[in-house]
Amino acid sequence: MTNESCDKPAVMAFEVLKAAIIDGSAARLGRLALAGRRSIETPNYFAATSRGVVPHMTPDNVNKHLQAGGAYMALEDFIEQPQQVVGTVRSPPIYNAPTTELRPRKLHSFTAMPPSVLTVLGARRIPAVPAPMGNSNSSVSVFTSNGFQNLTTKDYHAAIEALRPDIAVPLADLALGAITPTSKRALRMAERTDEWLKAYFTDLNTDSVLRPHGIATFAPVLPIAYSIQWEYLERLSEDLVPANQISGLAVYDPDVVPDMLNGYTNLTPLARLSLATPSTPQQILRQVSLGLDIFVLPFINAVSDSGIAMTFTFPPPPGEPPLREDGTRTLPLGIDLSTPAYKTSLAPFSPSCTCYTCTKHHAAYVHHLLSAREMLGWTLLQTHNHAVMTSFFTSLRATLAEGQASFNDAIRRFTRVYDTEFPAGTGERPRARGYQFKTEHGAKKMNTKPWKKWDDEKIAAVRKAGIAAKLEKKLAKEAQLANGLEGNGVETPLVPEDDADELDHRGFAKIVSLDDTKDK
Amino acid sequence: MWAARRMASAMSASSAALTFELVAKCSTTRARASIMTLPHGPVNLPMFMPVATQASLKGLTPEQLEDTECKLCLNNTYHLGLKPGQEVLDAVGGAHKLQGWDHNILTDSGGFQMVSLLKLANVTEEGVRFLSPHDGTPMLLTPEHSISLQNSIGSDIMMQLDDVLVTTSPDKARMREAMERSIRWLDRCIAAHKNPDRQNLFCIIQGGLDLDMRRECCRGMVARDTPGIAIGGLSGGEAKDDFCRVVGTCTQLLPELKPRYVMGIGYPEDLVVSVALGADMFDCVWPTRTARFGNAVTKFGMLNLRRDVYAADFGPIEEGCGCPCCRPADQEGSMGITRAFVHHNAAKETVAAHLLTMHNVWYQLHLMSGAREAIIADRFPAFVKEFFGRLYPDGQSYPSWAVDALRGVGIDLIQT
Repeated sequence: MTNESCDKPAVMAFEVLKAAIIDGSAARLGRLALAGRRSIETPNYFAATSRGVVPHMTPDNVNKHLQAGGAYMALEDFIEQPQQVVGTVRSPPIYNAPTTELRPRKLHSFTAMPPSVLTVLGARRIPAVPAPMGNSNSSVSVFTSNGFQNLTTKDYHAAIEALRPDIAVPLADLALGAITPTSKRALRMAERTDEWLKAYFTDLNTDSVLRPHGIATFAPVLPIAYSIQWEYLERLSEDLVPANQISGLAVYDPDVVPDMLNGYTNLTPLARLSLATPSTPQQILRQVSLGLDIFVLPFINAVSDSGIAMTFTFPPPPGEPPLREDGTRTLPLGIDLSTPAYKTSLAPFSPSCTCYTCTKHHAAYVHHLLSAREMLGWTLLQTHNHAVMTSFFTSLRATLAEGQASFNDAIRRFTRVYDTEFPAGTGERPRARGYQFKTEHGAKKMNTKPWKKWDDEKIAAVRKAGIAAKLEKKLAKEAQLANGLEGNGVETPLVPEDDADELDHRGFAKIVSLDDTKDK
Repeated sequence: MWAARRMASAMSASSAALTFELVAKCSTTRARASIMTLPHGPVNLPMFMPVATQASLKGLTPEQLEDTECKLCLNNTYHLGLKPGQEVLDAVGGAHKLQGWDHNILTDSGGFQMVSLLKLANVTEEGVRFLSPHDGTPMLLTPEHSISLQNSIGSDIMMQLDDVLVTTSPDKARMREAMERSIRWLDRCIAAHKNPDRQNLFCIIQGGLDLDMRRECCRGMVARDTPGIAIGGLSGGEAKDDFCRVVGTCTQLLPELKPRYVMGIGYPEDLVVSVALGADMFDCVWPTRTARFGNAVTKFGMLNLRRDVYAADFGPIEEGCGCPCCRPADQEGSMGITRAFVHHNAAKETVAAHLLTMHNVWYQLHLMSGAREAIIADRFPAFVKEFFGRLYPDGQSYPSWAVDALRGVGIDLIQT
């Protein structure tokens, strides 16, 4: 705590290094400086966590192999009530986490996040699961690992004070789900968010709590029309910025930013954190052009889960992309490691990549791990994909430093050269848990069922051999076992997926005639 | 005789791809400390070998496995034969290259999985017959198949294909047949082995719980002079007393200057007692499997961190443990993991399983390196007593099989 200084004007300093609006681009270079942490050059990204971890990455791997300067955490991942304690409310354990000199903040110490990574705390995961009941005037509906629960503004503010994230995002009244809110609802969103922000600074005094605790506040900018939230934005600009109460903006819709900046130049020096979940590098580039500085990127985790290794660079490689089999002339954003093409490939995912996966392993190993559903496959993909995003932003900043013209030119080339989406990924995903998503009625299963009934013909053939009863019983038992043990505890699958010809071909065993089997 | 009986440097033996150097022997029990040098470097024995079934230790990177100070891990031939398959292994250049592991690998023969898990298998003199579960086609896996696959894998230690029966099988005749067949199959394995200069083939002693049959098998196997010797067919549900009798009987008959590997053993008590009985190497999936169910193996016993009592327990997984999860926060490489954090993510995020896997593997490896240091210092009996004393703090409820087995080699747990 000694390294937190009280005489600084704002908890977090954001310095705009280079900004000029030409060609309609508001892209800018900046530096985010927090007392006691290494400064973060922007534009840049923060990792999206699940239950306090970067999925598949143990803290030692985060420390050694990830360069992300920050991690976004959701309070809803930490406040579930245990089911067996009926009727009583237990204080979530995270509030009692001891702190150490190395990790003086509870959010850090509970999650064992390496001290070099700063934390952003929001109420909800990004993207959040829509709640069946909406928010009330003083609470939002959050989704914990054992169900929905109401989080009051009071509780949320108490959590921020206790957990001490480096950056806190005050509650926003968001209408989640596919339907665009009506203007009446949108107006209420703005009013509530405004009210909640007032309550935030009442509960968390800037001078006595936020500043001494080293908690920077990034005020939400709502995903509704500027014309509906201008009064709220005006208060940010006229009251809170001059009082040095907010250090940044948490933007849920980047398209509001240009109007906002036209209206309120006071807001310009604030760091802009995108919570608008871009899902491709092109979308990131667009948001950078709109003036966003930092991005929380859950899509990295999703791309890794789908067995895809990112392969794009910024700016794109020079020259025309080669002609592809389907007749197009674009480069894919990534490669699908589950396809048989990588079975024996000893090459790294991309020749220039210096990440742990690309320097110590090869595509064939990751292909094998994905096909065997070994958890390490996703770890190695996460390591690589986070490294690709790091170098994407590093070169993006370098290009931007050359000037807006070359930056815009690089964006145009990037857009022309690369596919607009990541390949879908043919491999099986790791098992998804209840707290990550809610299935919707009629939704297709993410993974195919591992156990299927044999077709009648095959069963008849086996029955002929006189062993069907034994076999069926055996398979039924195995299926039961496999289904019951699904997940982390799942036993390594033992039943070959390949047919006899393939096993014979591979030298695993050889096919013999049916009559021989009866002998013994 | 309290002074350590340090071995002269003459106490070593070499074969084409293995050097065994006996470093020290316990002056009370039959425990030994040794160095086994394999094509991918030296390995200190006794040791526990973690099982990386499908060329990956359940979510840990090879780098993290190295961090636990592991120098030898297992791959399963059966699984690697299915995925990625022999063709890929040949193209990639073996399992070391496949998984980026520069240390040693031991592979089993695949017979155990075939017989115990694909229960439809039948064993004939030719090999293991089974029906393809995919389409019911009858197939045959022979000793030659197994060796050919293990040659493609390139493991530093390969195991012969043996005829495995559950030790508790009452059928004496079948047990004898299996034992004798295993010896015949060893000859076929030796004949089929293409790389004796860079891969070691170990034999496997069979014979169930019948000590005479075990002795006979020992003689037959030892005569074939493999670089190392395994005791197989155990950990199949037999009584612990029987298990100890078999291990104790075999180790007495085995040559001193060869490594002795008891297959499928992993519970800490079993490891410590087996070391006292003169065994050197062990493997088991239990420590890593149980990690995935949220269980931590500690010197005070097993903890199921999924239990609610650990929700707000901010101690390390195991007090005093030196693994990257548990070591004190001010030490190099410490992660600062608490029981509460593991509880928070157990069965929810794979990271919790990875952390417990790391801890459990470290525990097993360091249990054995602790035993080794104690043997070298000739204080192994005290080590054994401390170990059991921590697990059974009342000093009374020691398992009788352990008390009996240890008494047989000169350690009295009850007497203080």
